[in-house]
Amino acid sequence: MLYINSSTLLAEGGLFDFDATLPFVALEFLLLIIVLNLIYYQPITQVIDSREDYIRENLNKASIYLDEANELTKNYELELIAARKEAIRMVTTSQNEAQEFVNTQIYQAQKEAQELIHSSMIQFEQEKNKAIYSLEKQVEQISEQIKNKLISTYIKK
Amino acid sequence: MLISSVKVGEHFYLTLGVFKLHAQVFIVSFFVIFILIVFSLLGTNKMSQTPRGLQNFLEYILEFIQDITKSQIGEHYYRDWVPFIGTLFLFIFVSNWSGALIPWKIIILPEGELSAPTNDINTTAALALLTSLAYFYAGISKRGIRYFSRYIKPTPILLPINILEDFTKPLSLSFRLFGNILADELVVSVLTLLVPLIVPLPVMMLGLFASSIQALIFATLAAAYIGEAIEEH
Repeated sequence: MLYINSSTLLAEGGLFDFDATLPFVALEFLLLIIVLNLIYYQPITQVIDSREDYIRENLNKASIYLDEANELTKNYELELIAARKEAIRMVTTSQNEAQEFVNTQIYQAQKEAQELIHSSMIQFEQEKNKAIYSLEKQVEQISEQIKNKLISTYIKK
Repeated sequence: MLISSVKVGEHFYLTLGVFKLHAQVFIVSFFVIFILIVFSLLGTNKMSQTPRGLQNFLEYILEFIQDITKSQIGEHYYRDWVPFIGTLFLFIFVSNWSGALIPWKIIILPEGELSAPTNDINTTAALALLTSLAYFYAGISKRGIRYFSRYIKPTPILLPINILEDFTKPLSLSFRLFGNILADELVVSVLTLLVPLIVPLPVMMLGLFASSIQALIFATLAAAYIGEAIEEH
């Protein structure tokens, strides 16, 4: 059943019966604010704030580390470029040196070979002259003998 | 037919000296306060840097309340008002939902019946008057006597309307909440009286939604009034 006593809305038992409930509820509510502030809002706010600080601190640290890492990378890259240049320079100089060495070696070897050829040619010439000389002598002797023989046979006749 | 009978405006009177109290309001509101305190204690029991379980839930709610307060009052002053706005929201929300979800009818009182504390005009009027006090306190503590200059702004012609506003604010706050919760409980009761099964369920769901919205509206409006009082013109 639905009872609404409209004639006594504001009186005791009415729908809009204002009485001491109002201030007591207000008091109760104020106490609830104080209690919840102590056991809920303050501790949780502290946790949230400290976590935010922690995250911010770590972010700062991370960005500092990132800067350092970038700096280091830059330095290392510069060093790398320098080292590469140095290496190229060293390779070219050593190539040049090796080329020069090889060239001088070849030149010397050629010179030696030429000298050898030259000396052996001279020797050969001397030998040839000697041989020709001795041959001439022999030819002379033989021709002498032939002459002598011819003369002797001629005389005997 | 006891379970589905409707009683409006009947109170279980308790006399405390010269004071007359509505005992049903205090029984249920103490229950609501008990729930809030138990949840707070359990959630803040073992707190850790990385929240889990109930602590996470409490942090979520607090950040929700902080968002409401921050958006209405502003970055600078909102922290002082979080306890007030938060308690308003939590108290009204848990009151409304306990009225809708807990079968209080099982407990029989000699007179009247147990229901949400916000079902009583005294509770909502108390909350609304506290809100009025709060925004007066906020304005005067922030701006001193210059706070009253807002009554003649933008022109002195609006003085009566500006003064009237101080009365309409608590009136609308209290009656909005009271009317919504009472109407919701009445609709559910009447529907249950007509069709006891299944049919009242959608209305009950709607009631749950509406009562949570009412808690949000009350807290947001209270924060808006405080923010308005603090604001420099």
